[in-house]
Amino acid sequence: MSLSVNNLSKSYGDKVVLDNLSFEIHEPGVYALLGTNGAGKTTTLRIILGMLAKNNGEVLWKGKSLDPIRTNVGYLAEERGLYPKYSLLDQLLYFAKLRNVPKHTAMDRIKYWADRLAVTEYVFPPKTKGRKTSKSNRADQLSKGNQQKVQLVAALISDPELLILDEPLSGLDPVNTDLFKSIIREEISKDKYLIMSSHQMPTIEEFCSDITILNRGKAVLQGNLNEIKKGYGRVNLFVKSDVDIASYISSFGLTIAGKTPSEYHLKVKSEEQAMEFLTKLINDQIPIVKFELREPSLHEIFIEKVGDANEEK
Amino acid sequence: MKKSNLAGWKDVFSFTLVQTLKSKAFLISYIILITLSLISMPLVNKIFNSGNEDVNAPSPIKKVYVYNSTSLQDIDFSKLLPEENMNHILFETASEEYDTLSKEVEKETTSVILTITEDSNMFSLHFLKAGKGPVKDTHIQALGNALAKQFQLLRINASGITDEQNAMLNAKIGTSVSAADVNGEIILKEDTSISMAEYWFIYGILFFVLMANMLSSTQIASSIVTEKSTRVVEYLLITVKPLALMVGKIIAMLFATLFQMVSMVIALFVSNRITSVIIPGNSSSMLEQFLPKDIFQNINIVNILLCFILVMLGMIFYATLAGLAGATVSRIEELNEGLTLFTITNLIGVYIGLGASGTLVGAGINPFVVFAFLFPLSSPFILPGAILIGKATLPLVGIAIVLELVFILLLFSFVAKIYETLILHNGNTIKLKELIHLSKTV
Repeated sequence: MSLSVNNLSKSYGDKVVLDNLSFEIHEPGVYALLGTNGAGKTTTLRIILGMLAKNNGEVLWKGKSLDPIRTNVGYLAEERGLYPKYSLLDQLLYFAKLRNVPKHTAMDRIKYWADRLAVTEYVFPPKTKGRKTSKSNRADQLSKGNQQKVQLVAALISDPELLILDEPLSGLDPVNTDLFKSIIREEISKDKYLIMSSHQMPTIEEFCSDITILNRGKAVLQGNLNEIKKGYGRVNLFVKSDVDIASYISSFGLTIAGKTPSEYHLKVKSEEQAMEFLTKLINDQIPIVKFELREPSLHEIFIEKVGDANEEK
Repeated sequence: MKKSNLAGWKDVFSFTLVQTLKSKAFLISYIILITLSLISMPLVNKIFNSGNEDVNAPSPIKKVYVYNSTSLQDIDFSKLLPEENMNHILFETASEEYDTLSKEVEKETTSVILTITEDSNMFSLHFLKAGKGPVKDTHIQALGNALAKQFQLLRINASGITDEQNAMLNAKIGTSVSAADVNGEIILKEDTSISMAEYWFIYGILFFVLMANMLSSTQIASSIVTEKSTRVVEYLLITVKPLALMVGKIIAMLFATLFQMVSMVIALFVSNRITSVIIPGNSSSMLEQFLPKDIFQNINIVNILLCFILVMLGMIFYATLAGLAGATVSRIEELNEGLTLFTITNLIGVYIGLGASGTLVGAGINPFVVFAFLFPLSSPFILPGAILIGKATLPLVGIAIVLELVFILLLFSFVAKIYETLILHNGNTIKLKELIHLSKTV
């Protein structure tokens, strides 16, 4: 076990923002923290990073209390931050220095990641005619997306063992989203530990094996994503036919979860019920274009869990 | 305060200092300050000595025709003017008609007519010069002043009064009050009041410290708000503790301000030197004209060091307060509101200092002045000036430094408690009441 978060609690006066949260990351890979806005994701990450004092609990890294100043941690904050008026290279070197990265190593890494993230032209602008040196751009001269890339460079500059990404893909265009994803894959391939918070469920499903869903500071669902899905069973049935099958659906007592002009999204009680439904359609020679039985998506699980918890309140 | 809380402050210090020195705002203000300092002495010289620029240069007046209708006759005018720049002037008793002579003066242009008259109340010296020519009003003024000074002595001598009698007549009359103790012994009271020149000197130092203080403190506050509003602080906080961030910033800004101020002082001295060299007839330096007479007796290493320590401690105190103010707001637009407490505290210190320096002129050192010397809010403003004019004793300065240190430590322990919470605060400006509440709950 490498990261262990035990019974974390945080409150501001009477307001509890984190209530006895625990989770563990056993192996390298991406761990996801999910939740609605204000659920406590950023607070959890800030406590892990030592920015915020906790009221209770502990954060262990390789069995010892995690000290972010001594542990090699990288962080991409939810709200992006760069000094607007300072040169990009100066501030990247500053962040590297604070992480005790030697200057020449820092320069090599900045060059590598700037190249990977296609921001070399801003960090190391080409020399202009008549000038011996070129001046690195300032942050306020960059677009939001490019600033985000430079911040990812800052997060990766120390080659961190533990990388914490708070909403890393928010606000990115599809091209840059793919670029960020490729870098996350690269870090996974290097056996790094990543914690990621995101609202983008497909991204979480793409990268994460283990998740915690938070609602109002409490964990409402935790565990391995595949196991969670298996636990729900394959209860989502998508049927597409050339003819109207409404009468079959009602005769089988199936619930319609959604409907498009040509496709039904049905909820079945078991796989057997779905098979019986399929047999009936075939026997009656109903032309079937699509018949797909699958587990619920993370999005559906999230809505169910967070919705349930909010209804209980 | 744990030592680990300060780890990384040196990196923050070096980055902040380099970026501050490189910033356009700093460079522009630096150039303006240095330029102003360099031109200040010639400018002051021009303003205060306008018309007297050639005061030591030979007077263009060559000849003076004298009409003397007073009882003081047979005056040897050539002996009356010992000044080097005037001893070439020839005095001639006028024998022609005034109108004829005045026409001649118009032609000669370097001659003037002097008419001396007398009535029951006064002697009058009246000059007539050519409307055009090298003789200006200032030259006539200088000649008139020199003659009037000597004429006074001449008048006294003519009355048969000896030099001793004259000295007696001119002796100042002073009054003093002594008090006796219970045994009837007279308690001797030293006159501790200061001259106006000393007052203006203290005032100048106070203003200089205030300027340096405001400059560095507002820069610190604005730098902290910028890091908060741009969220850079979240990156920094995973590698350095909030207190190390603040300490690094404060020291960097103090260095930058000190660099600016020391450069300014050097530029002032350079300007002073240049003025005395390049401006003709300005043998004494401008600073000597304006500084108190005995000031250079008190300027020694120990006093300079004490002044430096006091100013630095004061700046650290106020900078910490400004840092706290910066952390209470989330946006740069709210900074003025956040700086209210800092501004009020600063003004209290400055006004107590000003009040004490005024009191020093009128009443000398009294309990209020001692309070101002020791009170940590006012001591950085008033005490450096008082040390340099020799009005603050070493034990008093020592106590003031200790009190300032205690104040800083108390403020730091308060700030250390709440700064971590404040630095990530995002919302309305936090008021003093809430700060105190926060310090109790954290």
